Amino acid sequence: MEIRIIAFGQIAEITGTEILTDAPDISALRKELKERFPELEHKKFAVAVNKKITEENLALQEGDTVALMPPYSGG
Amino acid sequence: MTTDNERYARHYSLRDFGVEGQKKLLEARVLVIGAGGLGCPVLQYLAAAGTGTLGIIDHDAVSLSNLQRQTLYTTDDIGFLKVECAAERLRKLNPEISIITYPVELTSGNAWEMIAGYDMVVDCTDNFSSRYLINDACVLLDKPLIFGAVYRYEGQVAVFNVTGDSSSKLNYRHLFPEPPAPDEIPDCNEAGVLGVLPGMIGMMQANEVIKLITGIGKVLRGKLMTFSMLTYDSFTVDITDEKPVSHLIPEDRQELKKTDYSLICSFSTHGIEELDPAEFYKRISEEKSLIIDVREEGESPAADFPHQSVPLSRLTESLSKFNQENIILFCQSGKRSLKAAGILMHHFGPEKKISHLRNGIQALQNISL
Repeated sequence: MEIRIIAFGQIAEITGTEILTDAPDISALRKELKERFPELEHKKFAVAVNKKITEENLALQEGDTVALMPPYSGG
Repeated sequence: MTTDNERYARHYSLRDFGVEGQKKLLEARVLVIGAGGLGCPVLQYLAAAGTGTLGIIDHDAVSLSNLQRQTLYTTDDIGFLKVECAAERLRKLNPEISIITYPVELTSGNAWEMIAGYDMVVDCTDNFSSRYLINDACVLLDKPLIFGAVYRYEGQVAVFNVTGDSSSKLNYRHLFPEPPAPDEIPDCNEAGVLGVLPGMIGMMQANEVIKLITGIGKVLRGKLMTFSMLTYDSFTVDITDEKPVSHLIPEDRQELKKTDYSLICSFSTHGIEELDPAEFYKRISEEKSLIIDVREEGESPAADFPHQSVPLSRLTESLSKFNQENIILFCQSGKRSLKAAGILMHHFGPEKKISHLRNGIQALQNISL
């Protein structure tokens, strides 16, 4: 199973803009990301699965795209 | 309504826009908060387009490092108030609209009065405390909010508080319920920003304002668009109301007024010590220590060691009573105690030793099992 992750802003500076995972769900993904990238520990980001922001622990499926979006404050 | 104003000729002849669209623009009242990188293009295009009343809030003066991206200003403007310089340029650009300047800082004390008199708000600020304040005030006042923010080479645009496809009104807290820690996200000063970026994002905000007022096209209601200057890729996601956020927003005008957004967002967590359960038990038995439960009254489990209860919501009014040198804070999960520690740090500085229980009282439960 392969799930594509697109990261933005400061998160992408840590993870790279595109990575792959086979995590079965969002909370497994968050855990995996923190292990692979310890710098993410205290970073805030919203998660969108297939272009929809979600707070739930959705199951991930082959072909899903997960976006990691941090808040920006600059103006 | 005259149709012979040569100034708007290209709007009149524009299909789906026409005289009606121009009339709506001329009747609109739009408040632009922040006259910096985002604010400049927003103001220029909204003034040029004939937005009837433009309010501008900004308390800063023009500085040399602004000119790389804040294109309303010239080198001669350095040291002068942005709102004054901006108003002068915009009146030359379009003397037929009304421009109202507010050379003040937006605070929870004045936000309500400022925003209430306008149809919609454009957030062109550069910090999280203003952004959360504006969001909450717009939710309470039920005003559409056109959001824009930038980071290095990327920008975000969204339209909040407008009924969307799902018919519910979404706001910034549906995306990011609470502000990030103060040192988590660098601002433009620290991170740098490509000068053209706020120009483009600001123009997208201006475009959303015009679309919303005139009813053309599809507004980014309840959606967040991220745009990259390096690739021109844009990525739009739907925001959802899966998680309720109303409890994070002040209940009414009075509560908004009492909320100190600068404390919520801008304190530093530098110098705050995090304690694990063993260290926590050791410290609370030391002399000269004040142990504070910052949870609201009645939250369980109750602490079975001596402590005082000062809920986070009432912390700032109690600061003068904290005479001890060591202050140890705890809450349920460690989040509120960290926030409280930040407030104390901001108030007392290095004169006191401030620590908090990491992962909260829950962590103590786990070890006693």
